[in-house]
Amino acid sequence: MKTVPSDGAAAAPTRSRRRAGGSAVIVSIAGAILSLLVFLAVFADLVSPYDPLRQNLIASLQWPSAAHWLGTDDLGRDVLSRLIHGCRIAVIAAGEATSIALLIGVPIGLFIGYRGGWWDWIVMRIVEAVVSIPGIMVAIVILALLGTGLHKAMIALGILFSTSFLRLARGVVLAEREEVYVRSARVVGASDGRILLRHILPNIAPPLIVQTTLTVGAVLLAEAGLSFIGLGVQPPDASWGTMLSTAAAFMDLHWFLAIPPGVAIILTVLSINLIGDVIRDGVGRGIAVAARPDAGAPRHAAPAVVEPSAAPPPRHRPDEVLRVEGLRVTVATADGGELPLISDLSLSISKGETLGLVGESGSGKTLTGLAILGLTSVALRTTHGSIVLNGRDLRGLSQRQIEEVRGNEVAMVFQDPTTSLNPAFTVGSQIAEVLRAKHGLSKPAAWARTVELIDRVGIPRPAERARAFPHELSGGMAQRIAIARALSCNPSLLVADEPTTALDVTVQQEILDLFRDLQAEFGMAILFVTHDLAVAADICDRISVMYAGEMVEMAEVGALFARPRHPYTRGLLSAMPHASDRMPPLPTIRGNVPRPGTWPAGCRFSNRCDFRIAACERRIPLAGADRQVRCIRADELILEAAQ
Amino acid sequence: MLRLIVQRLMALVPLLFIVSVLTFSFTSLLPSDPVDLILGDTGTQEQHEMLRERMGLNEPIVVRYVQWLGRAVQGDLGTSFFNSVSVTTALMQRLPVTLSLTLVSALIAIVVGVAAGIAAALRPRSWVDRLATVGATIGQAIPNFWFGLLLVAIFAVNLRWFPATGFTPLSASPVDWMRSVALPAIALGLSSSAAIARQVRSAMVGVLQQDYIRAARAQGLSSRRVILRHALTNAMVPVVAVLSFQITVLLGGALIVEQVFAINGLGTLAIGAVRQQDIPMIQGLVLVMVGLVVVVQLATDVVYGLLNPKARPS
Amino acid sequence: MSDEALLEIRDLRVTYWGKSLLGFKGRAFDAVKGANLSIRPGQTLGLVGESGSGKSSIANAVLGLVPANGGTIRFGDVDLAAMRTRYPPDVRGQIQAVFQDPYSSLNPSMTVEDIVTEPLRVHTTMSRAERRARAVDLLRLVSLSEEHLERHPHQFSGGQRQRIAIASALALTPKLIVLDEPVSALDVSTQNQIINLLYERRDELGIAYLLIAHDLALVHHISDRIAVMYLGHIVEEGPSDRVYRSPAHPYTRALLDAVPLLDPDAQRRRRASRKAAPARETPRLAAQGCPYRNRCPHAMPRCEADLPPDYPVDGGGTAACYLFDAAAGQGSARLRAVPA
Repeated sequence: MKTVPSDGAAAAPTRSRRRAGGSAVIVSIAGAILSLLVFLAVFADLVSPYDPLRQNLIASLQWPSAAHWLGTDDLGRDVLSRLIHGCRIAVIAAGEATSIALLIGVPIGLFIGYRGGWWDWIVMRIVEAVVSIPGIMVAIVILALLGTGLHKAMIALGILFSTSFLRLARGVVLAEREEVYVRSARVVGASDGRILLRHILPNIAPPLIVQTTLTVGAVLLAEAGLSFIGLGVQPPDASWGTMLSTAAAFMDLHWFLAIPPGVAIILTVLSINLIGDVIRDGVGRGIAVAARPDAGAPRHAAPAVVEPSAAPPPRHRPDEVLRVEGLRVTVATADGGELPLISDLSLSISKGETLGLVGESGSGKTLTGLAILGLTSVALRTTHGSIVLNGRDLRGLSQRQIEEVRGNEVAMVFQDPTTSLNPAFTVGSQIAEVLRAKHGLSKPAAWARTVELIDRVGIPRPAERARAFPHELSGGMAQRIAIARALSCNPSLLVADEPTTALDVTVQQEILDLFRDLQAEFGMAILFVTHDLAVAADICDRISVMYAGEMVEMAEVGALFARPRHPYTRGLLSAMPHASDRMPPLPTIRGNVPRPGTWPAGCRFSNRCDFRIAACERRIPLAGADRQVRCIRADELILEAAQ
Repeated sequence: MLRLIVQRLMALVPLLFIVSVLTFSFTSLLPSDPVDLILGDTGTQEQHEMLRERMGLNEPIVVRYVQWLGRAVQGDLGTSFFNSVSVTTALMQRLPVTLSLTLVSALIAIVVGVAAGIAAALRPRSWVDRLATVGATIGQAIPNFWFGLLLVAIFAVNLRWFPATGFTPLSASPVDWMRSVALPAIALGLSSSAAIARQVRSAMVGVLQQDYIRAARAQGLSSRRVILRHALTNAMVPVVAVLSFQITVLLGGALIVEQVFAINGLGTLAIGAVRQQDIPMIQGLVLVMVGLVVVVQLATDVVYGLLNPKARPS
Repeated sequence: MSDEALLEIRDLRVTYWGKSLLGFKGRAFDAVKGANLSIRPGQTLGLVGESGSGKSSIANAVLGLVPANGGTIRFGDVDLAAMRTRYPPDVRGQIQAVFQDPYSSLNPSMTVEDIVTEPLRVHTTMSRAERRARAVDLLRLVSLSEEHLERHPHQFSGGQRQRIAIASALALTPKLIVLDEPVSALDVSTQNQIINLLYERRDELGIAYLLIAHDLALVHHISDRIAVMYLGHIVEEGPSDRVYRSPAHPYTRALLDAVPLLDPDAQRRRRASRKAAPARETPRLAAQGCPYRNRCPHAMPRCEADLPPDYPVDGGGTAACYLFDAAAGQGSARLRAVPA
């Protein structure tokens, strides 16, 4: 089960805006070059100063002059004119070969992709065979049959390049077939043809366009090569390839001959490739550039309200391991402003204690954990506050010092165990590596300790299991390994980010028991991030409830469940599935969680709260010492707990 | 690991088979008649028929294919239609030349491409990244034989650091071999190194965003270790898949670059064979090239299996 | 009784094949090994299980997305299993679906209007205007408005996207809607909104639901009957309240035990009676015998030898467990003796 992470997705607008500007320049230049090419191709006869075939042996191998802007070749022909006529050949060549490749490759690829079965098997075996022969050789062999000349060479190249279109079309169909919305279409009863047309084809256009531009470039290079070795365009016709072939023969006498055709090829292929790149970067899947992923985020930054330094910092507690005060994390917005994702966050955890950080998606709870370890993405900045771990403020440390702290003093367990372990190495080696890198253990000592740790987290046959790869383990086992790795250097604080959300409920129970067990033995403090209040009830001593980037309530666990004081906490409690015995309608909190940037001024929960009054429009400080709540009506309201 | 090799071999044998069938059937379409080429205008109709009978040319195509395949497996690829040289001998003479050129350029392409790709991925949008990306984009647009011409003009003709033409076999003199292979290999490797650099860069950027990289950082492992060990190992997986394709491309490109440097490799054989419609030579060439590609593919599959445990047979 | 059933599944088997060398069929994996279920018109059946239980495979088989490899799926007068995924249009129109992931279940390049009217376009001859009018009605049924018609899926939140998916499923007023984990990817308060919505519509339109989920508590609110699956078998079935409050099969009990309570004291007491359990290996079981025998605290020699049949349970429904074999002197007495 996944909920959408809120890790500064709003950062995208800045970069893409800037890149869009740069791309526009590139696209215009490339487009101009290509337009020039097509223009020259069409009007070659009118534009070129001389007849490209006209020989003038007296004036051969001349350098650029007023009469001949690019000089003459070995037979006295004007290089510029030949170059211009070469444009025509280039355009024809590219057009022919690419069209043939598209017309052969795409329909077959679509067909075998959708049908599968024997068709797919046979065609793919043939394609693999053809692809394993070097392309030039395939073209050469086809030309052996067809004979030489431009059009024959283009047919050969068309056949050769059709394989890439075939694989592309087939790949897109195979991927789209797995999409849930294609499944939905089948359930609706749409015919195969309709599904292909309506659902799959629209998504093939972007990669197809990109592949077409790549193919055009490749065709031009291949034609040049074939003509160079005499199998393509035949002399005396002027293609850039034949011009290079002539140039090669006269390199020592007149090396300049090689420059104009070479530069022409490079510019043309470069322009096409650049346009292909820009298209590939810009276009999303079938959505086209118009739609933006975060259409909800506002353009202007949130009002730069200097927030009253809210509550008094949390009271110092004995054996304090972590102490966060006034934390504020922001992300840069499209117009250079800053959007807060977490504001005014303070908490503290003592040795051997488990603090739960509970909230829905978008509350900022995961971000808090990452901020403590300094692992937020580069687009995010921590602008205020202190994070004091074992007496040291982590915010002032250098990169080297932070790396030292991580692992040794604080460690993290992530939500999805299958992706938080490196798929390329055995699980044992990933634990042993940490021991060797951070504590300097020898190889055998590290391995022995690794097996001990794996055994300690309850995995049977630990020595054997240590040699397994992550994909060979079940979710529960992989998470145990991740926990073993996190605890390998005996940190004083463990940050657990939704560690059981991706696991089955029976496995979840075992992992929670394991956490408790390990904490009893190792004595570390745990910051337990979760969206599930019931899980928090199981494992936490105290709970902080987060909403829209700030903490709204903090209490000892029994007190929170018995007498929730913030309306959001109470809403959350009664909405839990096992909270009520009633049939639907089940209790809900009206409205939706506001995204960063759309937080109401004043109390952020006010637009969904049943108890709001006028005073809720102003900023609400967090009140209290051992028990804290951010609600001005907290004392008046007697909120029933769930039921 | 042995199981992996055996499994891949089993998958590649049918490939060779299909290639041989395709080539044989395709070349049998060629109009050139070996009997006419050998006897020319001399000889009577009957003599032509007798020779045809003797050479087994009247048999159905399937029989001819089996005969050819049987001989080919034993190493006999027939006789060239033109100079009556054994095809096998001609190929074996030229093969080491093209092979050494291809392998050296592959090495250059990999080293340069991987280094540039990593450098670019580590500092996205810095000047290093921009330089590498722009360089790669331009590099892929330059025809490798043209680049070869330039290299010859500057380094061989002008500066005389390298020979302009010719090829010295490794066995004769290693130093001279290196000098003769240097320029062609650099020219050939240019666009491949650009393609590899782009692949490595995008693979690295993708890997660096993965959860397990963040987890490794969270564990306090040094940046260098995380990048070189954790990230690179996974980033190379898609790159290795692309490498065998690149080597196929290099092999093809070698055929053309050889012409620039007047190197007597498989390229000249191929061009000649096509012009003269020398069927046994064409068949032999294709078979040998595919054989090389298959060997390369096997090697890359093994490396792929080493890097990606999910690909190994369980 | 069973004459009235809208959907009746008997001894259903669903098998998947892996890939092997050269693309031929590889190893077989039985996702569903003989399941029996029935749903009456307008009734809601909740199908609960953890990952690997086979519940999604049953959904896919009913929807005709994967072929059944054995057994029958009777829907009204026809046997869906025999059709091997080629359902005629009139049958297709009667069985619709809502899937789990709201972010990939709607085609990103289509507008909401397109998505919601797709079933109408495929099955009816309504004009564009008629379809649009119907789309507006459907959106109103799911608490969305007319202005949403022109927008694209990515402009909506997860909960709203599920509403769109539900609107599309309601378009043809089907007799049965299969919901495969429709709320797992949503926040808790949004989940409840969607459940409430499904409940209201069902009452109005008399639609039967096959609701697939992993959360027993959630399913219990809206279902009339609950079936529990484990490793391809249905281990317990019965009225929703009975299964939730007095679970019979040891696995169902373990499932309920594992869900943390909202009462920290009660949870602490429960925890005290457990110890940190070692990780369980993924069982690679022999074909015969009870699938739960490795983990069951009451396993007997019988459980190793033969798959238990469905025994009736006090309060309604069945459990596939020898503990309820009245003939062997087990049954209700044993049920009470087991610690909670």
